[in-house]
Amino acid sequence: MPVISNEPVAAVAGIGATEFSKESGRSELRLAVEAITAALDDAGLAATDVDGLVTFTMDSSAEIAVARELGLDELRFFSQIGYGGGAACATVAHAAMAVATGTADVVVCYRALNERSGRRFGQVAAALSGMPTTSGIDNGWHYPMGLATPAAMVAMIARRYMHVYGATSEDFGRVTVAARRHAAANPAAWFYQRPVTLEEHQQSRWIAEPLRLLDCCQESDGAVAIVVTSVARARGLRWRPAVIAAAAQGSGPGQFIMTSYYRDDMAALPEIGVVARQLWRQAGLDPADVRTAILYDHFTPYVLLQLEELGFCARGEACDFIADGAIELGGRLPLNTHGGQLGEAYIHGMNGIAEAVRQVRGTSVNQVPGDGPVVVTAGTGVPTSGLILS
Amino acid sequence: MSAAQAMTPEEVKAAADRIAAAGDSRPRLARDPVNWPTIRTWLEAIGGAAGTVADADTVLADTVPADTVPADTVPADTVPADTVPAETAPPAMIQVWTMPGLHGSRESDDPLGAMMALMNEAGYPAVIATNCDQTYLREVRVGEQLAVSARLLEVTGPKRTALGEGWFVTTRSTWTANGEPVATMDFRVLKYRPARGERSAAPAAQPVMRSMISADTAFFWEGTAAGELRVQACERCGARRHPPGPRCPACGAMATGSYVVAAGTGEVYSYVVHHHPPVPGKKLPIVIALVELPEGVRMTGELLGVAPERVRIGLPVRADFTRIDDDLALPAWRAGAQATLPPRVIDVTPTFVVASALATRDYQDVHHDRDRAIASGAKDIFLNILTTTGLVQQYVTAWAGPGQSVKAISIRLGAPCQAGDTLTLTGEVTSAVGTAAEGTAEDSERVIAVTGRCGLGDHVTATVRLADSRIPGGPEGGKG
Repeated sequence: MPVISNEPVAAVAGIGATEFSKESGRSELRLAVEAITAALDDAGLAATDVDGLVTFTMDSSAEIAVARELGLDELRFFSQIGYGGGAACATVAHAAMAVATGTADVVVCYRALNERSGRRFGQVAAALSGMPTTSGIDNGWHYPMGLATPAAMVAMIARRYMHVYGATSEDFGRVTVAARRHAAANPAAWFYQRPVTLEEHQQSRWIAEPLRLLDCCQESDGAVAIVVTSVARARGLRWRPAVIAAAAQGSGPGQFIMTSYYRDDMAALPEIGVVARQLWRQAGLDPADVRTAILYDHFTPYVLLQLEELGFCARGEACDFIADGAIELGGRLPLNTHGGQLGEAYIHGMNGIAEAVRQVRGTSVNQVPGDGPVVVTAGTGVPTSGLILS
Repeated sequence: MSAAQAMTPEEVKAAADRIAAAGDSRPRLARDPVNWPTIRTWLEAIGGAAGTVADADTVLADTVPADTVPADTVPADTVPADTVPAETAPPAMIQVWTMPGLHGSRESDDPLGAMMALMNEAGYPAVIATNCDQTYLREVRVGEQLAVSARLLEVTGPKRTALGEGWFVTTRSTWTANGEPVATMDFRVLKYRPARGERSAAPAAQPVMRSMISADTAFFWEGTAAGELRVQACERCGARRHPPGPRCPACGAMATGSYVVAAGTGEVYSYVVHHHPPVPGKKLPIVIALVELPEGVRMTGELLGVAPERVRIGLPVRADFTRIDDDLALPAWRAGAQATLPPRVIDVTPTFVVASALATRDYQDVHHDRDRAIASGAKDIFLNILTTTGLVQQYVTAWAGPGQSVKAISIRLGAPCQAGDTLTLTGEVTSAVGTAAEGTAEDSERVIAVTGRCGLGDHVTATVRLADSRIPGGPEGGKG
């Protein structure tokens, strides 16, 4: 990707969010506008500076509706990314490309959802099996058979991963324990001051075996916005820029949405591998350089698979890699220092990007010492995306 | 007419809790020791076991109407007459020994009796047995004096059922010989208020998820509707592919609609046990399997008839189809059968119903008195559960032959089997299911799935666990 080369041209200049709750009591559009306003304030920019907007195809608030509320007269760049949470880092990637090419100057990426009080993704959405699209046809191989929730779809791959590599439910639980420990110190997290033990994880009920309740991220209401502009412009703004050292999207062989069951090796997430290879190449870095990572944690097993795909450890060795608190604060590679979607909130991965920015700025409540780059990933099991911020 | 709610659900539960808190009833001695005449009467009525005693002329159960049975499915080896007294009792007779008899009555501390009285008082007068799970810890020998005690295991309700609103009541009986446990039985009944006028209260039509079908995938769904699994096969290079698409990813040829019909076998490649949240049209938990087919593709489907804890990767399965309606049938999977038992067809004459009920020492009127049976809502007298259990056990042991011990029978009762009907027993060996446990004790087990169909549908679905050697005596030989 030539526009995002070894000479980074774009940076995150502002982050903003609403409170994270189970019932916002407000429209998703209003949440989006609140988060964007907060992000612009954080950057020290005005709404009139914005000339680009990027969101998810799943977002209910169209760019034009947001533009109307922000009072934007002209919008020069707008884009929506598909594939659910896989869009998160891609919103920033598209914004960076727009900035790098001069298409836009200030692009805001946003995601607003009343996912807990409104449409809950964890429930069965029977209509998805009846859409007259390739996605609807794909879903028709799984939904009518009863495989109709994200947890169940992930559980199929998690079971195979356990079989092939000997991973256990306790291994998955260690991801939760780390996330909840970090969330416990984060006042913005839903699970602030509420850590869990591995025993509590093991006692939580089955959702879709081998996934327990505490292997599944929470469901949340809230919004997050990220302001992207050029590195040069960002340098004149309020914060030290979080430079976008690399940004990539990825889809793998035989890719499906959550149900890539027909690949030769099912105990893997090759789409993250596609992203990882681009990230390391663009940034000229390798895993050893990374200070901390925000790995999309809708379901715990996929954090293990991501560690392997990103090259933090060899395939099948994530269980060993995360043992002994390695992914907790003070460990070898602290993960999801905001508490992740397991602990902070499920804002479709966008809150993870905000945490990566805080780590670069040095303002995280669980600040990891050092000045190494921060890796962020987006929804996994779907076509996905990733960033390196430094 | 609304049945007055004599007790609130909370009151019912509180009363049930008090009964459960009493624990096991006092052991009640069987009227007689285990004895050959009673065994012989039972065999005479239930019949069908090779190597045990039965006079061919009196094996009523094997009276097969020639016009209803395909010639090649009738077991030819009608049991030879054998008058040598057995030394052990058929395991399914366990309950027979302690039945109260014609003039018997329940003990005052019998938890099932107490629950029945409670439910009658609460406005649920009708009763139907739904499940009977017997586990045999060792064989029972002639001459042994058995005793039984029972406790209330579980009460759940009130639940809406097809029969009417009711409660499921489960008791656990334990039989002992000289204080040594020899068998247990978890027995579940539904005590209900018959839904007479409100037949329309049948379960609301469940919404069912359908598959979106395109011109590229229609052949697959036409196949499932016709009872076959079709795997896309490229006409040019032969590459197989599932799910199908319009262009061969291997050679680039556009699809021509060619496919192979899969053998319908496979192995579980991965699986999910779905507990939560609810799935339209499914009663949870369900197992969804990803199956690897010998044709080289993988395919999902619900895995039917296998307890979740017995599923494992590598389990051999065979294809089945769940028909949703005239247009749509979903692929599904069942545990692969290693062998199929020859069917046994039983002409359920009134004599058979009465003889088997009395041979199991069950004097409930609905099993011998037509008027009382009709008053209870049936069309005629119907088989009792002890007979059904006995039929299942004898069906399997007759097929298995000597040296095979029945370790457990798990019975789920469906439609009543009434006099004048025909009961057809079929069975399959699903041994792979039985070897799922790590313990060596289970390795030698075979699991036989038995279905008994009658005119009203499935009368019984059962699982029989067979060990290929005699059950070791004493508790140390039991489960680890």
